[in-house]
Amino acid sequence: MPVKIAEEWLTTCGGCEITLLDVGEPLLEILPELEFVHMPVLMDHKYSGQAGENPGTLVIPEADIGFISGGIRHEENRHVAEEMRKKVNTLVAVGACANFGGIPALANMYTVEDIIKMAYDETETTDAHPVPDDDLPKLEERVSAVSEVVKVDVALPGCPTTPELYVQAITALLKGEALVLPERSVCDDCPMKREKKAVTEIKRPLEKPDWPADKPIEEVRCLMEQGYLCLGPVTHSACGGEEKIPRCIKAHMPCRGCFGLIREGANPQIDMMTALSSIGLNPRQIEDRRAMFNRFVGAQGRLRPLPQRR
Amino acid sequence: MSDNGDFEPKIVQFCCNWCSYTGADLAGSCRLQYPTNTRVVRVMCTGMIHPNMVIDALTKGADGVLICGCHIGDCHYIDGNERMKSRAATIEMLLEDFGIEPERFRLEWVSASEAQRFVEVVNNFVKDIKELGPNPFA
Repeated sequence: MPVKIAEEWLTTCGGCEITLLDVGEPLLEILPELEFVHMPVLMDHKYSGQAGENPGTLVIPEADIGFISGGIRHEENRHVAEEMRKKVNTLVAVGACANFGGIPALANMYTVEDIIKMAYDETETTDAHPVPDDDLPKLEERVSAVSEVVKVDVALPGCPTTPELYVQAITALLKGEALVLPERSVCDDCPMKREKKAVTEIKRPLEKPDWPADKPIEEVRCLMEQGYLCLGPVTHSACGGEEKIPRCIKAHMPCRGCFGLIREGANPQIDMMTALSSIGLNPRQIEDRRAMFNRFVGAQGRLRPLPQRR
Repeated sequence: MSDNGDFEPKIVQFCCNWCSYTGADLAGSCRLQYPTNTRVVRVMCTGMIHPNMVIDALTKGADGVLICGCHIGDCHYIDGNERMKSRAATIEMLLEDFGIEPERFRLEWVSASEAQRFVEVVNNFVKDIKELGPNPFA
């Protein structure tokens, strides 16, 4: 009997669902063992009955494995997440949004009133008009990760997560195991050459790094040492797949931190600013430090509106 | 100030084993009086105090953090206190980013024989935190 899978997306872009479709050939091998019973992005499955016969109810079919991508932004997200938890045996949080809040959690730096004022009133290109509130779920004060609302059994971080991780997670779950990613930083897996010398200035990633086309990656100098702000030291490693070269590094870009915390309770901003200072860089050169270091991990209280000075 | 009359701040104080903690000990032996608002945590050297420890204290309920170490040049481990000094700049920047008043963090040098100075440092810090009021970071 195939294993039943339910998938839900909350506040997210859909990239993690695309990644599931992007699995490619390995998907064909595991697909006969899977049965997707609920997946709003692919299937026309209505919450309140196909013809809307049960208005106001939320029906998600029972399943063995549940995937949730996206964080909790409003009441409906919370409702769906709680319903998913009730209906599935193993809940997998997929992507940076579900695990750490992701990009939408950057909004945690502002109050909901400020966000609404900005969106409907204050933006130059917007004609001020009343805020729509009929039949719309109420925004919550903060964007939360799924694990802040319901218990999550398996975490697949990343923005988006990788096809390899999907396969690993599903294969492990078919065997009855939960995938646990090893506690490693991106730097632990990064093959670039480190000379342990301080740089003097932080460059923007728009500038081209010193990366001769004919040199193998092992002989090119670490991007952080070249002065590009790379969040590798404070980011969980798992994005490289089989060959273990971090995704962004492979594309000649510094790590942006989408795989989130290396271990629970870490604070990338504190760790990264301490590390930068210890190699002689002044973090004051970095624009908008809070957002920069918490780009994908703003939930779980890491980003919040600054208290007013008394 | 007026509405902070009854406010008794909670202050986490880190003291290095070789100078400030011994100084605190001496203050006790001399029966010098100072406020009970500080909770002293003994560390081997101020150089081992990671900014995490300061930020964690201030984001989880402390109203102030006071770090006391050996005078520059007197460090038992040669340059631990200089490391702390350069780290203090990062801590101040982090406090800014976390929306905590930088006045809630202070770094002072107190040697093993300076019991009187230890008392003054604690007195001054407690007085300043009382004026500042409770930590807004709930």
